[in-house]
Amino acid sequence: MADPFLRTNVSLATGQHTARLSYRQRRWLGYGIRYVIAAGLIVFAFVPVVWVVSASFNPSGSLTSIEIIPRHPSLENYRGLFENSYYPFMTWLLNSFKIAGVSTVFSVFSTAVAAYALSRFRFRGRRALMRAILIINVFPGILSMIALYTIMQQLGTHVSFLGLDSHASLILIYTAGALSINVILVKGYLDSIPLEIDESALVDGATHWQIFRLITLPLAKPILVTIGVLTFMAIYGDFVLPRVLLQSADKLPMMVGLYLFQSADYAKNWGIFTAGAVIAALPILALYMLLQNYIVGGLTSGAVKL
Amino acid sequence: MIATNPKRMVLLPALAARLAFVGVVDVVIAWLVLRLVGDGSYPLAAVLGVIALLITVSFSGERFRPYRWFSIGLSLSILFVLYPIFYTFYLSTTNTGYGHILTKQQAIASLERTQYVPEGGQVFRWTAFQADDGSYALWLQAADGTASLARIGETVEQVRPGEGGLGSLDENGVPISIDGYRRLERRDVVVLLDQLSRLEFGTPPHSVRITGLNAAATTQQRYRYDPQQDAITDLQTGTVYRPQNGTFVADSGEELRPGFFVGVGLDNFTRFFSSSALQGPLVTIISWNFAYALLSVLCSFTLGLAIALLFNNLPGKNIIRTLLIIPYPIPALVSILIWRNLLNPDFGALVKLQQALFGTAFNWLTDPMSTRTAIILINMWLSYPYFYIVSSGALQAIPTEMLDAAAVDGANQGQRLVRITLPLLLQIVSPLLVASFAFNFNNFNLIYIFNEGNPPIAGSPIPAGHTDILISFVYKLAFNSAQSDYGLASAISIVLFAFVALITWLQFRYTRVLEDRI
Repeated sequence: MADPFLRTNVSLATGQHTARLSYRQRRWLGYGIRYVIAAGLIVFAFVPVVWVVSASFNPSGSLTSIEIIPRHPSLENYRGLFENSYYPFMTWLLNSFKIAGVSTVFSVFSTAVAAYALSRFRFRGRRALMRAILIINVFPGILSMIALYTIMQQLGTHVSFLGLDSHASLILIYTAGALSINVILVKGYLDSIPLEIDESALVDGATHWQIFRLITLPLAKPILVTIGVLTFMAIYGDFVLPRVLLQSADKLPMMVGLYLFQSADYAKNWGIFTAGAVIAALPILALYMLLQNYIVGGLTSGAVKL
Repeated sequence: MIATNPKRMVLLPALAARLAFVGVVDVVIAWLVLRLVGDGSYPLAAVLGVIALLITVSFSGERFRPYRWFSIGLSLSILFVLYPIFYTFYLSTTNTGYGHILTKQQAIASLERTQYVPEGGQVFRWTAFQADDGSYALWLQAADGTASLARIGETVEQVRPGEGGLGSLDENGVPISIDGYRRLERRDVVVLLDQLSRLEFGTPPHSVRITGLNAAATTQQRYRYDPQQDAITDLQTGTVYRPQNGTFVADSGEELRPGFFVGVGLDNFTRFFSSSALQGPLVTIISWNFAYALLSVLCSFTLGLAIALLFNNLPGKNIIRTLLIIPYPIPALVSILIWRNLLNPDFGALVKLQQALFGTAFNWLTDPMSTRTAIILINMWLSYPYFYIVSSGALQAIPTEMLDAAAVDGANQGQRLVRITLPLLLQIVSPLLVASFAFNFNNFNLIYIFNEGNPPIAGSPIPAGHTDILISFVYKLAFNSAQSDYGLASAISIVLFAFVALITWLQFRYTRVLEDRI
């Protein structure tokens, strides 16, 4: 093929100088346009983020402020956040960690156990069970909110730690969601672990439970971490279920608390709200940074609904 | 060691542990089932029975041994995923809601707990004492100056200072101390009042109840239920109340609270499909629901795909990618709240910017069309990173040989994109698009957190807004209005269940995801 330089020279030499650009010029023009578009999109992506972070360090309390860098940055909003007696942000954050953390551990365990059995045992109803597991969690839990509310009310009259306004209720409901497509994904992963390892352990007298605990669990760590992180993120970010089931202010998780805070006292406390939003987002952001590869891998394999 | 069978050695303690586990589970569930039957909560009792059966069978025989591994997960799934779907259906055929929350048994029990002060009943001033074991006692002072001590379940006895462990009296005639008891200060009592007033002190017919912060009285049961007549009699006035559509009603029309729920057949569905008062708001809600889900998916996917295509082979794409994905790891709810503030018509920063630039701004939260536009834009912001990631992955999966072959055959860049890349990519991502449509169809958080479904539809007989979708409407009907209507809300939920089932069925059928995964 012709050298792009040569072509330009030829056209110059023949006196037919047109606006046509060289290959390289066209390439860089294409890059340039794309970089401009990228810059525009990055601004679009960052507007809310930059606004909330800068506002959270801006003690002036002027609502209309569009200064990107506050003139007198301070941590006053953050102090206000943790000293607020009507809105216990610290408690909310701890509640969120507790609910999401415990539910995640239970869910991952329950997923792993079910996947192990599906992968290692052949029994009657196995395929039907897999179908059931896939279908049962197709319906978003939010559609059942009224039923769940009523069921918890009925259980709560007799079992004091369940019922409304209880973290245990929420945790059980979240754990119930574990038997989902995730089981099938983990099962696929376990299928790829050679059976010979199990068999040699069986010959040595290990029980299936020991094999599961000591061999399979450690080997399946990557996929379990992926599922665990995605589960944690989903539960941490959930709103409806805790909003419906929990009642007292000191039981709420961060998401519900933040919503109530901002809808109740917005005009007075907008600075505190921005600080709260930053604090609420930070744990998930940190988790994402740490485990980015697991998460993106999980996304493309379909481990999460969205 | 050689002579013994290692399997048996492991099994014996394991067997004992297993039987103990099954025993405990069965006993606990049986107890709960009995209590629930007493309440009239039959469906829940039945489901718990099924779960007990499942656990017992899988742990006792060898035949269902593998099911042990699912026992806990499956039990929870049945109780909190499967059963609620059926229970929603059940609720949709009842009038459950405001004033009709309890079962008939519970309503009767609650009414029978109601007390009244009969004529000649004694009124006391009271002071509460708490024993070391947490139980309470009341020091009662009648108007005639006599004082007595009332414990729960023991006959009320008159006592004198210095006897029975009583300390000396203070200026109000209340003992400063009683052996084994701690006197409660008034501020403690205020907190405990609700709990204390549910307690019955002494023994019937002279039992004493707290009727207020300063008064206690000998009381009697006010209502008695007669199962033969299926009627409730007011023992104070003699009025007879009979059940009617979930409420006990007297001949005079007077009603007793609380009521209970009864079956109403398909009334709720009839109301949903044909009530003329609901029709206007429902048409608005349903058409917006479809438009919203469809537009959200199309806009977000288009943006994500465009980004993936544009920056696929751009130098520095990794940095751009990291920056552009930023909306993804922020909890959606936090982002939605931030957007809500940015677009607040009074002090939102973006609104101020818009006014500074153009002299005027949209009413992002109060004008129906502007609010809808804002919702679609925010959803684009929230979900393009997902489609960007997914599309990039799909682009990698398209074999380059095909593109090269097309290039050799003389196809230009545009043709290669439209004829090869896009069709192949759509094939890969279409199940995700359908899933995203289904997700957005019930995306409660965005709708409710951004603007609670507002602005409201004028003249609607039920709380409905221009940006409400069915699921946010269900929530408002059930939990956000003074006259909560669980029956109608459940009926709408059932319609949504059916819709999700239809989408899923289509998806499974045409993409065969199910078969591939198994």
